[in-house]
Amino acid sequence: MELPILPTSVIGSYPKPRWLLRMYKLRELGKIPEEDFKEAVRDASISVLREHERAGIDIPWDGEMGRSEMTEYFTSKIKGFKFYGPVRVWGNAYFNKAAAVDKLEYEEPLVLDEFLWVKENTTREIVKIPITGPYTIAEWSFNEYYPDKESFVMDLAEIINKELKVLEKHGAKFVQLDEPAMLNHPSEVPLAVDAINRAVKGIKMKVGLHVCYSNYNLLADYFDEIKVTQFALEFANRNFRDMDFLKKLSNKELGFGVVDVHNPRVESVEEIRQAIKKVFTYLEPEWVYINPDCGLKLLDRKIAYQKLVNMVQAVRGVRKELEKEGKTTIEFRTLKDI
Amino acid sequence: MIVPALIGSLPRPIGLAKKLEQYYIGRLDERKLEEAYREYTRRAFEKLRDAKIKVITDGLYRWDDIFNPFIRFIDGIEVNGLFKFYENNFFYRSPVVRGEIALKENPIPEWISIAQEIKEDVYPEATLKAVLPGPVTLAYHSINEYYKTLTDLAEAYAQVIGELIKELDVKIVELQEPSLAAEISEATKNIEDRVDKEVAKNIIEDLGRIKKLWVVTYFGTPQVLPEGVILNVDLIEGSVPEEYSGEIGLGIVDARTTKMERADRLRDKIRKYLAKFETIYVTPNTLLDFLPESVAWKKLRLLGRLGGE
Repeated sequence: MELPILPTSVIGSYPKPRWLLRMYKLRELGKIPEEDFKEAVRDASISVLREHERAGIDIPWDGEMGRSEMTEYFTSKIKGFKFYGPVRVWGNAYFNKAAAVDKLEYEEPLVLDEFLWVKENTTREIVKIPITGPYTIAEWSFNEYYPDKESFVMDLAEIINKELKVLEKHGAKFVQLDEPAMLNHPSEVPLAVDAINRAVKGIKMKVGLHVCYSNYNLLADYFDEIKVTQFALEFANRNFRDMDFLKKLSNKELGFGVVDVHNPRVESVEEIRQAIKKVFTYLEPEWVYINPDCGLKLLDRKIAYQKLVNMVQAVRGVRKELEKEGKTTIEFRTLKDI
Repeated sequence: MIVPALIGSLPRPIGLAKKLEQYYIGRLDERKLEEAYREYTRRAFEKLRDAKIKVITDGLYRWDDIFNPFIRFIDGIEVNGLFKFYENNFFYRSPVVRGEIALKENPIPEWISIAQEIKEDVYPEATLKAVLPGPVTLAYHSINEYYKTLTDLAEAYAQVIGELIKELDVKIVELQEPSLAAEISEATKNIEDRVDKEVAKNIIEDLGRIKKLWVVTYFGTPQVLPEGVILNVDLIEGSVPEEYSGEIGLGIVDARTTKMERADRLRDKIRKYLAKFETIYVTPNTLLDFLPESVAWKKLRLLGRLGGE
C-alpha cells in the first residue's frame, strides 16, 4: 500500500462539540438514557471525522469523542481500578486519576467499538487508533495493590496486547501507543520499553509511539530497541529547538509535530513549511509523517480546525517541491517491515 | 514540639475550577470570580482549622502552578511552552527570559492581604505564610536567553523576589525551592548550566534578612543548606542532611500516593528528630495538588493528629 509523501495525521484528541460536552454533563447527572448518550458520541464522532477529512488529513481519527480523558477512559474499563476524584494536570485541566486497588484484568474491548464505527464511516483507507500505553497508564495512576512498578506495568502491557490483537483481527492497520510519561524516570525507561514491546508482541500492523513534553535524548538511546514503526513527537511547543537527537533515528519514521496544541495562535502556512524543511536536515522526507504536536482537545474548535488546515496546506506546498525530485509517494510500513 | 503545617498548594476545588471556566468564556464577571476565590479560601481555612493545621498558606487557589501567574508580572519574561513539572503528570508554563528582568505592578500583595483578612476572621490563631517560587527553582525552570549564566539569572530573580517580599503582609514567606534538592527533572530537559551552590545559599540567606523564610525542598535531599531559615525536607524521597542544625520542617506525609499512612508509624518516624530539633513542623512532602481533593484533606487531618507532642 502507498500513501502520498509526508502523510498527514492527527495525534488523537480534538475539541468536543459544546453540545456533546452538555451530553457528558447530563450523563454524569444521570439525566439521559445511556443510548441517547451513545448516539450523541457517534454523531460527534462523524462530525469530527468529516472535519479532519475536510481539512485534508490523510490518516484521520474521530478526536476521541467517546473518551472522557486519555488515561481515565482506559482505567474505567479495566477491572481493578478505583476513582477517588479529579487531579489537576495543568491550569484548570483535570483528570480522574485512578488507583489500582486489585489485580488488573481485561474484561472487555477498550476501543474496538470506536474503531469499527470510525472505519465504517470514513472515506479514508487508513485511520490511526490512539491507545494509551501501559507505562503511562501505570505512571498516571496511583498504586495501592502491586508490590512494585514492574508488575503493575507488565500486567497493563498484557491487557493492551489483548486489545491490539482484537483490533488487528477486526482490520485495524495503524495504532498509536501514547506514552507521554515513559521518560518520567530515566531509570525506568527500560521498563517502559519492555512494556511497549510486550504490548505489541505478535502484532503485525503499523504501530506508532507518541511521546511529548519530555527530554527526547532519553528516548533516542532506545530508538532501535523499541518495536514500533514510527515515533510521533512534539516540536512546535519547544520552538523546534534541540533536534539533534534525531540523528540517532534510522529505519523508523518520525511523526513530526508542527503545530503547538497549547497555544491558540494559528501557525502560518509558511511557518509550518519552514519547520518541515528544517526536519529534512535530519531525515529523508520518505521517513516523515506530519502531525500536530499532541491532541488538540484543549483548543477552541475553530482554532484546532484552522491549525489542521494550515498544516495540510504547508504539506501540499512541500509536496510540490518534492515532486520535482520525483518523490510523490511512500510505502505504508508495518511491523512486518522492520 | 510538633507543629502541623501546610506547604504550597491545596488541590483547586472543582467548584472553583468551574467558576474559572465560566469566567474564561465570559459568563462570569471579575467581581463574581473574586467572590468565589474568597469563598473557597474561607472554606479552606475552616477545614485547616478543623484539621488542626497551625501554619497555613492560602492554598494557591489563584495560581496555575508555582510559577504562574507570578512570572507574568515580571518585565523581560515571556511565558511560553508547557513543560512537565518533574516527573508528575502536572505541567507548568515556562518563563522565557528575553531581557533584563524587573518586577511589574502585581496583585500578589493584595491577594495575601485578602487571605490575611479571611484568616483573621475564621482562624485567627493560625500563622499564614505567603508562597512564592524561589529564585533558584525559577532559574532552573526558565529558558534563559539573556543572562550570561544561570547563576546570574538566579541572582536577578532574587532581586525581584526581594522587592515583592517587602510588600507582603505576612511574617513568613514560603519559597518553593525544589531545585535545592532536585535541580530539574532529567525527564523534562537536559541542562548544561548550573546555579552555583554557594551563590544559591547566599541569595536565599539575603532574602531571609528581609523577612523570615520557610524554604521548601522536595524530590530529594537538599544540596544547599541556607542558614537562618526554616528548611522543609522531603522525608519520602530524601532525608535531613546530617550537618543541618537550623529550624526544620519534615515532609512526612506522601502527597503523591492515595495510600494512607498510619499515625503511629509517622510518630515513630518523627521521634528520632525530636532529640535534635526543639520544634518540628510536620508537613506533606510536596504539593497537595498531586492528590484528589478528598485524599489531600484526609492526609491533612492525619497530619493534624500528630501535633502537640
